[in-house]
Amino acid sequence: MNVEITGLTRRFGRTQAVAGVDLQAGPGVFGLLGPNGAGKTSLLRMLATVIPPSSGTLRLLGRDPGGYGPRREVRRRLGYLPQNLGYYPSFTVAEFVEYFALLKEMPSFRVPAAVGTAIERVELGDKARSKLRTLSGGMLRRVGIAQAIVNEPDLLLLDEPTAGLDPEQRVSFRAMLRDLGQHATVIVSTHLVEDVGAACTQVALMDAGKIVFHGTPAELTDRAQGTDAAGDAPLERGYSAVLAAARSVAGARS
Amino acid sequence: MTAATAPVTAPRSWRVPSAAGPARLLRVELRRSPMLWLLPLLAAAFYVSTYRPAMDNPPFWNIRSGMVQSHTMLVFAPLLAGAGAWVGSRDGRRGLVDLVGVTAVPRWAGQLATWAAATIWAEALYLAGVGVLYGVTADQGAWGGPLWWPVAVGVGCVAASCAVGFAAGERLPGRFTAGLAALVVFLALAGGAFAIQDQVTYAQIWPLNVQGPWPADSYGIFYPYLPDLAIAQVMFLAGLGAAALGALGWPAGAGSRWLRGAAAAVTVAGLAAAGTGTALAGTARVEANGMVIPALHDAASDRPTPYTPVCAQGAVPVCLQPAYRADLADVTTALGPLLSQLAGLPGAPVRVTQVAVTTVQSEIENGIGFGGPAISGHPPVLYLPLSGMTLPGEGNTPATSFISSLRQQYGPQIVNELVGLPGGTATVGVNPGVGPDRAAQFAVAQALEQVLNLNGPSLIRSVPPGARGNGPASGGDTNGVSPSSAQLQSAIQRFAALPAGTRHAWLATHLAALRAGRVTLSEIP
Repeated sequence: MNVEITGLTRRFGRTQAVAGVDLQAGPGVFGLLGPNGAGKTSLLRMLATVIPPSSGTLRLLGRDPGGYGPRREVRRRLGYLPQNLGYYPSFTVAEFVEYFALLKEMPSFRVPAAVGTAIERVELGDKARSKLRTLSGGMLRRVGIAQAIVNEPDLLLLDEPTAGLDPEQRVSFRAMLRDLGQHATVIVSTHLVEDVGAACTQVALMDAGKIVFHGTPAELTDRAQGTDAAGDAPLERGYSAVLAAARSVAGARS
Repeated sequence: MTAATAPVTAPRSWRVPSAAGPARLLRVELRRSPMLWLLPLLAAAFYVSTYRPAMDNPPFWNIRSGMVQSHTMLVFAPLLAGAGAWVGSRDGRRGLVDLVGVTAVPRWAGQLATWAAATIWAEALYLAGVGVLYGVTADQGAWGGPLWWPVAVGVGCVAASCAVGFAAGERLPGRFTAGLAALVVFLALAGGAFAIQDQVTYAQIWPLNVQGPWPADSYGIFYPYLPDLAIAQVMFLAGLGAAALGALGWPAGAGSRWLRGAAAAVTVAGLAAAGTGTALAGTARVEANGMVIPALHDAASDRPTPYTPVCAQGAVPVCLQPAYRADLADVTTALGPLLSQLAGLPGAPVRVTQVAVTTVQSEIENGIGFGGPAISGHPPVLYLPLSGMTLPGEGNTPATSFISSLRQQYGPQIVNELVGLPGGTATVGVNPGVGPDRAAQFAVAQALEQVLNLNGPSLIRSVPPGARGNGPASGGDTNGVSPSSAQLQSAIQRFAALPAGTRHAWLATHLAALRAGRVTLSEIP
């Protein structure tokens, strides 16, 4: 398993962002769904080793990232696209991706080819020499994806990757996710259930810091049966049904 | 986005970082460092603050070397601190802290690469400016060779300014950090200037301080340039920069425990170096050849630099240090008439030799003044310091101004020396030691100055209080009664009106008695 989580929590002051998550994920595309404030980004930031967990155990790629050495090894094999991606306006697309390839300690001789491949995969080949300040929001998002995949990561964490992409790009992106998921563990945090339906082999639904559903997209769809959950698509109705059930249980407990 | 163009081949082994990675990282940073945008401004600042003023000065290596330290850093240090802060705050301002924080390269190493790129550009521009200035100076035929210690201080100051600014920017990322960093460094430099004026000994470490209170052309010509203060300054600046950069490596996310320990060690070593440099500067004292720090001083530096003087032959030969070769004709023009008048007189100089500036206690210039010409030795030699004088070409000073200045400033002093007025280096009229017994000496000196046009027409205004009586015009003499102004004026006019030959002959026979105070006013022809 590339990701093994047991009883993971994260607290920011008095706010419990992640409240005891258990999760295991191997190669494949894993969708992380949930409403705003459900704890998806906090969970993803812990997986990306941005922040340490408050409690619980976390193993990534067979390593415990609590120690500096293993964490550094994990980071070499990690790709991460944060929700709000900053950029250096004066860098070109190629330079930005190369910069992160080097920061990920890719072997120097492999960097030029890897940068070219990553840029081509996000269909920015013709913009490789363009300064980032000249790109649109959607293009910048694709640059962010390129830097995340440039090291051909074994663990790829994408926080709202399709935000700002047009429908055509989203279709391409989902295809790319499926391809990446053949060898790597790809965890995609998103609001968009259609992304999950199209690309993910596994899906988890988070609410109030906990995982309230874990299964395949088909199983999530099935949860809508026999309910009057709202939604335009079957997966959306499943999503709504699971959330409604989880909240009614939580309300009854409280 | 395409799924099939390049199949994912995820590495299955833990990779070991290659040594070429940091070099490539630095190359990317060099290509896109914001410092590049600042280079034109820095070049303009160098031209305005250093190059143009340097060209307004004679081609002396020490003057121009001092400028690349003091003039340049006054402008560069605040600018570079601001630029460093801008570069250091980049990730914070751009919202990239998370992303660069989860990469394998230790955060501290990445920050050092960013700082290094900015600093390399700044150093390159600084050294290019110094290269141009030194090249032009060499082309102008300056005597001796370039001084590198001021450049070393400049290099250290550039790096330290960038480092301090970078650390400030990294810690407090914001759009105003750069301006604040520049302002703080500027105020620190201004504070250093005030501290030096207040004679705070430790303030000698001030990076703009070249050789303490010495005039810029007094060191590095007659004696080797003393690197004592520069060494302390380099220690201080290197320490300051290291401490600032080391502090970036402390946070938990900066790197491994070993790396953070190394960062802490760098910080401590930097603080120790900065403190040691400051402490050493506190022990600096002014010597004839510059600032001496006993713990760093090499006694070999105290030996005068050997040289073959350049001389102009005449009634009295004038010999200058070869660095002043261009000024030989002007010095001869300034002092020639005076020397011709005095030639052959007992005690008159048979040769003029330029010497290094000497210090005297003074109420001005932070307690240190600079001595004037002095006649001594057998046969007598006029030892002439030119340091501290405004030389031709310095600040667009014309040769005529230098000649006039030299004649009027040193001429009376030389005459006073010759006739035996005390304090040959002091200005007549303010010397409290002149009394009635000096009236004849004073009158002869004033007459000679009038004849040689050394002091201008208003001679009587400079009669010393002790030499001018309040009594009637028929008043006293060396019997203890002070002569009146009229008597003095009369003697001066009388002696000045003599034909040159007669005056010279009288001086030849009476100069010894005049110098001994045995000649009265009435005995002056």
